[in-house]
Amino acid sequence: MDFISYHMLTTILLFPVLAAVIILFLPRDEIKVIRWAAFFASLIPFALSVWLWLRFDSNAAGFQFTEQYPWYQAINSSFFVGVDGLSMTMVLLTTLLTPLAILASFKITDRVKAFMMLFLMLETGMLGVFLSLDLLIFFVFWEIGLVPMYFLINQWGSANRNYASMKFMIYTMAGSLGLLLAIQMIGVSFGTYNLPELFKLWPVASELKNIPLGLPIETVKAVAFWAFVIAFAIKVPVWPFHTWLPDAHTEAPTAGSMILAGVLLKLGAYGFLRLVLPLYPAQAQQYAGALAFLAVMAIVFGAFAAYGQTDFKRLVAYSSINHMGFVLLGIAAAARAMGTMNATFALNGAILQMFNHGLSAAGMFFLVGVVYERTHTRNLDELGGLFPLAPVYGGILIFTSMASLGLPGLNGFVSEFLVVRGSFPILTVYTVIAMIGLLFTGAYILKGIKKVLHGPLNEHWVGHMTEINTREIVVMVPLMALILVIGIWPAWILEVINKAVTMLF
Amino acid sequence: MSTETIIWLIPLPPLLAFFLIVLFTNKGKALSHSIAIGAAALSWLGSMVVFFRAVGVEHFGKEVFQSSINWLPTGDTWLKIGVLIDPLSAITLFFVAWTVLMIFIYSVGYHNYGQPKGDHDRPGLPPHGATTVDEHGHKHTVPSIEPMYSRFFAFIGLFAFGMFTLVVSDNLLTMFVGWEIMGLCSYLLIGFWYGKPSARNAAIKAFMTTRIGDVFMLLGISFLYSATGTLSYREIFTERVLSVLASTATPILGLSAAGLIGLLLFIGTVGKSAQWPLHVWLPDAMEGPTPVSAMIHAATMVSAGVYAVIRMFPLITADFTGHGLTTTMSIIAFIGAFTALFAATIAVAQNDIKRVLAYSTISQLGFMIAALGIGAYVAAIFHLVTHAFFKALLFLGSGSVIHGMEHGVLHTGDHSIDPQNMFNMGGLRKKMPITFWTFLIGGFALSGFPVLTAGFWSKDEILADAFANGHMAVFITLAVAAFLTAFYTMRQITLTFLGTPRTKSAEHAQETPWTMTLPLVILSVFAIGFGWVGIPEEFPLLGGLLPNWLHEFVGGTLAEHPEILPFNIMPLLTSLIVALGGLLVGWLVYRNVKSVEEDKLQIKVLMNKYYFDEIYDFLFVKPAYWFAETFAYKFLDQTIIDGFLNSIGGVAQGVGRAFRKYFDAPVVNGFGDLVGESAKRIGKTMAPIIQRGRIQFYMLASLAVAIIVAVLYYFLLA
Amino acid sequence: MSIPLSWYLILSAALFSIGLFGVLARKNAVAILLGIELMLNAVNINLVAFWRYGSGSIAGQVFAIIVFAVAAAEVAVGLALIISVYRRRTTVIADELDLLKW
Repeated sequence: MDFISYHMLTTILLFPVLAAVIILFLPRDEIKVIRWAAFFASLIPFALSVWLWLRFDSNAAGFQFTEQYPWYQAINSSFFVGVDGLSMTMVLLTTLLTPLAILASFKITDRVKAFMMLFLMLETGMLGVFLSLDLLIFFVFWEIGLVPMYFLINQWGSANRNYASMKFMIYTMAGSLGLLLAIQMIGVSFGTYNLPELFKLWPVASELKNIPLGLPIETVKAVAFWAFVIAFAIKVPVWPFHTWLPDAHTEAPTAGSMILAGVLLKLGAYGFLRLVLPLYPAQAQQYAGALAFLAVMAIVFGAFAAYGQTDFKRLVAYSSINHMGFVLLGIAAAARAMGTMNATFALNGAILQMFNHGLSAAGMFFLVGVVYERTHTRNLDELGGLFPLAPVYGGILIFTSMASLGLPGLNGFVSEFLVVRGSFPILTVYTVIAMIGLLFTGAYILKGIKKVLHGPLNEHWVGHMTEINTREIVVMVPLMALILVIGIWPAWILEVINKAVTMLF
Repeated sequence: MSTETIIWLIPLPPLLAFFLIVLFTNKGKALSHSIAIGAAALSWLGSMVVFFRAVGVEHFGKEVFQSSINWLPTGDTWLKIGVLIDPLSAITLFFVAWTVLMIFIYSVGYHNYGQPKGDHDRPGLPPHGATTVDEHGHKHTVPSIEPMYSRFFAFIGLFAFGMFTLVVSDNLLTMFVGWEIMGLCSYLLIGFWYGKPSARNAAIKAFMTTRIGDVFMLLGISFLYSATGTLSYREIFTERVLSVLASTATPILGLSAAGLIGLLLFIGTVGKSAQWPLHVWLPDAMEGPTPVSAMIHAATMVSAGVYAVIRMFPLITADFTGHGLTTTMSIIAFIGAFTALFAATIAVAQNDIKRVLAYSTISQLGFMIAALGIGAYVAAIFHLVTHAFFKALLFLGSGSVIHGMEHGVLHTGDHSIDPQNMFNMGGLRKKMPITFWTFLIGGFALSGFPVLTAGFWSKDEILADAFANGHMAVFITLAVAAFLTAFYTMRQITLTFLGTPRTKSAEHAQETPWTMTLPLVILSVFAIGFGWVGIPEEFPLLGGLLPNWLHEFVGGTLAEHPEILPFNIMPLLTSLIVALGGLLVGWLVYRNVKSVEEDKLQIKVLMNKYYFDEIYDFLFVKPAYWFAETFAYKFLDQTIIDGFLNSIGGVAQGVGRAFRKYFDAPVVNGFGDLVGESAKRIGKTMAPIIQRGRIQFYMLASLAVAIIVAVLYYFLLA
Repeated sequence: MSIPLSWYLILSAALFSIGLFGVLARKNAVAILLGIELMLNAVNINLVAFWRYGSGSIAGQVFAIIVFAVAAAEVAVGLALIISVYRRRTTVIADELDLLKW
């Protein structure tokens, strides 16, 4: 036990891979065994992260539970992991969503072993990004997460999966090119990739050591800033780099979409918070207006595009763009006015929105999957009038939709309110325009509900649309419970976030 | 139990009822309605206790019941939320508790509890009747029980929770929470019968229209929070904070911060209380079951809108010096007065019994808003309370009428008769006496029948205030609207209850069960009696008999007690003339009207509500949809962005192919091939020359080479 | 005597050239072998001349004897090859034995 408690983060990080390797040796045909093994294996990181959450001291500044092992000593890059309030919430989210996503994929019958292995490897990739405190390790895990996702979409996805998976992978990697160059430049300049040290050294750097570029440092920093921003912007996704998302989400299998929307998008936002804001405070402040503009475009166009959809899953995918726009708006506001109370509000809201969106998006995608499994269509015009056939499902769908809509009393409202409150004094005009997006959020959610549940009953589905079953309810219950709890009593998570934000920024 | 604890507990029973019904007792109808009514009763009890304790406190207003807790951590401080009962919320609590309880009880009968299940009923559509066989073997079609019975009670429970939360809140944030929850419930309940396309669309329309207002309200709340650092009423409505807000300028319309925030919050009310121009959702909201209409349009939701403005009155009037209305107040007064008249003109031409009441509600809310706009604080509150009672009474009464008509429709089997169309009714006073008398009381209260009805006192006070403060435009507009109100009310009563039945279904109408008529009776007591708590002191004859308790009590909410205006006979006379005149004219015109063709006021523009729905559809809804589907998605995303990306992909592929075709294959491969090929060719050509197989030739050749090498070696290298 | 070394060398060179000419120009395979023999013997004369006019090391004579042995062996093998070829192709003309051509 001592070993684990001293190496808690590495355990949480590598346990899924270990489980994947174990699953490798299970016989391919024992589907039930594989499924349950994967599920229980994913519960363990969750239990550990809950333990971590309880032991986490939100009043202490800096990173906790750190572990550092030598890795690539020649360039002074080590395997350095640690958590603070920000990463703690993300780790909790990841380890919570993975078991639920695995439970959601119990319906998959084709090459279950490969699927579960890829999923567990994906979990490690995601956790690695959140836990790493070394730039190179960060990048490694950033890229590693792409590969299992690519295969998940490509092999178990729907009709257009080749295009979608290829687009997703290439697009994200293209963005990472600039990131890699910038990381290398930073690492070579200061001879270290250690983040806490770089936080102190890089923002005040006045000359580039070791690299003869001949450009003024400010230009270099600006270019590096944009390199970082573009890589993360593609992931968040920020308009106009968002077009991979509807395709990827729509074509991915249900569990893939849950994790993609629930966690992978947060990697980008996390990158902004962990890397861009601390490393480039001056550039972030300078370009905050541009970022806010893009954020508002995401909010508004995401909402409009969602409203115009006929594919249910694509509608939910665009809703993700809409919600992540709020995260970026909060980040942009904080960038503009770092250190003020308004910035704290905005960041609290942004980070909480990351967590909340993870919950509600995962829930929505899962519910779309529930319908798809039974009706084999996602076309809103073909579905209709399912409420009398599946009232429990209908109730759950309305609940989750309301969370997505930002109904007060549920989690979405708290984070959106904080973001609006925070960014209003700083970026007033942008916030006002973002309200249009908020208005249309209601429109598309209601459209979804109307077409799926309320619409004229398509007699075709009578007898085909069965009620939601116990396993599916078990997947939704933790999400719904958290949504409600955070909506009514957000202090338990907001305290951690708040303290982290006030100490970091 | 301490009062504060009770206040915290008041909103909870209906919420608990909601969860219990949704999660557990959905199948059990009796259990569900018992839980719901029990919850409403508990909240009612709590509200009454709190109200009477509040009334008993000297100078209530300076002293209040208050309690708050930390809720959101914000930097180094916390945002607190809590409960507050001051005179305004005490009196609001009073009427909300009563009307909610009455509506809950009424719903039992309305949804035909105790009746058999319908023949073709299914969830999502209104019940259509069940065929029963009586002891003689005759088949009768009787009203059937609502298939989604329990769900209804769950939803109105949630609705009640939202309203109670809004009323007991001590800060704008939880008020907004209650506000939006009610918005959700109105969506769920208006679209209760989701199988009907009209209901679906009405629900979405309600939600979206109010959301427009809500979005502005959220901006106002954010602005207020960032400007003052708090959202708590008691902390904002202090001299210091208000003067700061009043003196900060904003770049919009020359308004001060207080004015702008007030305006933004007011826009929320414009949506929620269905004022022009966001009034379009309310008439369509009649798609919901009648208790819902009563709930939304009398007891809770629209009242919440007015409550919000009343609550923010100190902020709106922060830069009001008493001479000349501020910009915000002018806007409010204009919208209120305009809406009052606008809606009243439309109501005159409506034939559906509920639609008349819907437009009437919009109009009456206009009265209250106008009152607030001109600064008549107590009058607005007075009218809010009386309106809640008599409008709830009228809506429930109309539901009773419709129920009776439906009974008749089922009896005759003639399903082409719309049981809600007043021109299919007539003479119902004989068939449904209790409904008739209570509806009459309600209608008279609405019209402002002198002395005996609460509506008179409250409406008179608004007119008096407008007149006394010299706001003649408002005064005249409201007076005309009051005339029209009395007119269309009498029209409604005459067509529905007086005269003789116009259709067979009307002849077979029946009085409704006690669960429906008891609430009507109780509400009519309030509709009559509540006015007497607010009789102005200087009123001729009656003034002074009863103290103007309302003014004393409610006026205490504000930092300074509003002044009591000197009595003037003009507004009183105007009230009497418009009320009695309207009633008389309405009766005279309509008592002999037998069918819709004889109604001279069926003006197309009025019947079509000035075509606002069509205008909005053209200006906003269709373009929004075009923007969404075509522009945002198809054009921007797919054509431009994806087109760009796919073209990058295409370019990359093309470059790759060109590279292969023009460089890799010819040059690199070609070079390699060339080398090989030339070696082969040389070999081929040389072979016949060199390789002849003749050994002497070989030897000669090697000798020659050796000599050459030797020579080279000797001369060049040695 | 006073016969200079160069005379022997010239003799040996002349013989070698004649032999070489024979090898390169004669048509008959046996004649080619004869030419080879001539060359070998010319080499022998060369070796002995250097022995006689040289430092006195016995290497020249020894080498000459080795050359004898090698020449004998080589003639034996060469004639055996020619006979074998004759039996197959009934010809000993070198120009006609061109199987090793392209």
